Amino acid sequence: MARPVFGRVKRAGDPGPSRIAHLDRDRALVEEARRDRARFDGLYRRYLAQVYSYAFYELGDHHEAEDATERTFLAALSNLDRFEERARPDDGEGASTFRVWLFQIARNVVANQRRGRRRHPQAPLEAAAHVADPFDVEGRVATHDEAAAAWNAVRRLPADRRRALVLRFVEEMSTAEIAGVLGRSEGAVRVLIHRALRSVARDLGRGSGR
Amino acid sequence: MTAFERDGSEVEALLTDLYLESVLARAGADYGPADARLDPALRAASDRLRRDLVRVHPSFRFEERLATRLAEAAASLRMPAVAGGEGRVVPFLRQPAFGDEGFDPLTTDDPGDERREFARPLLIGGALTSAALSLAGAAFVAWRRTRPGRAVSPMVRAARIVRQSRVTAAHPGRLD
Repeated sequence: MARPVFGRVKRAGDPGPSRIAHLDRDRALVEEARRDRARFDGLYRRYLAQVYSYAFYELGDHHEAEDATERTFLAALSNLDRFEERARPDDGEGASTFRVWLFQIARNVVANQRRGRRRHPQAPLEAAAHVADPFDVEGRVATHDEAAAAWNAVRRLPADRRRALVLRFVEEMSTAEIAGVLGRSEGAVRVLIHRALRSVARDLGRGSGR
Repeated sequence: MTAFERDGSEVEALLTDLYLESVLARAGADYGPADARLDPALRAASDRLRRDLVRVHPSFRFEERLATRLAEAAASLRMPAVAGGEGRVVPFLRQPAFGDEGFDPLTTDDPGDERREFARPLLIGGALTSAALSLAGAAFVAWRRTRPGRAVSPMVRAARIVRQSRVTAAHPGRLD
């Protein structure tokens, strides 16, 4: 986890003294990129694998994940001036509102791509069934039965629960960050993840009991 | 679900969350002890997912290709600031592949609700159908108004004849 960044924060209109708070750990990189867009590369390298992973788990296809990743970073680069840092002390150490913002873009891009895929199916059903499993596509852990079983259990979940688990376990996001990405309250995210884990536990339990 | 059950479920969700946050904070260290009240099945499932849901890296080739593309895009974005570059149209985002013209990646429309993804075409279809029916109705009324005498039913013609005869009987001198 990244080193926490602290800064002096004073709310507008608040006559009281300023206080020390966590700041966005990407603040320096974001400010550099705003001054000179060529410096966006630092943010890109930091988050490439995360955005790609998210897209890959959501879309289940290597090429579509690449396409979504490309769109996400191009949109982030061109809209960097629209990003507003909203770090709060409650977000905890190492929190990044830039990361939340980036994943909000990724979520929208992926959703748009899924809609497009429904309108314009590009692969026959047999192929779609084959590529639906990222472990098979990559061939990384095709022989890893346990990993495949875990992913299958996650894949069977409703979309919002699956998305929350991917953000939690693959992207290692905090509850506050997931809430920011999904546009829900932290309480709702807690319940979402809890229910998702219950389903996965049941599913894995059934699998091992066979 | 009763209020008691709901509260119990929320407490359980909170315990799970605390455990997951502590695992996240330890980042890579051993999973460590969990609250004794946490359901062991939930803990086992979360440990399993933490171990098995791996982060997938794109190919090096893709990484470098996109880096080059971003650098080009960054250079294009800086172009207007250069003298003589004002007002220049910068080709940036490529042609959308899925007909997503007007799509704003920064605008959240809750893609989590998958039903909306199906509902949208139906809504558009309904609106189009409704608009088409309205247009057809308006066209028929306009056509009907310009041709008052042709499409009169026998019943209307009979009623007109009766009315005409009554008017004539009441006012013999009147011709219409």
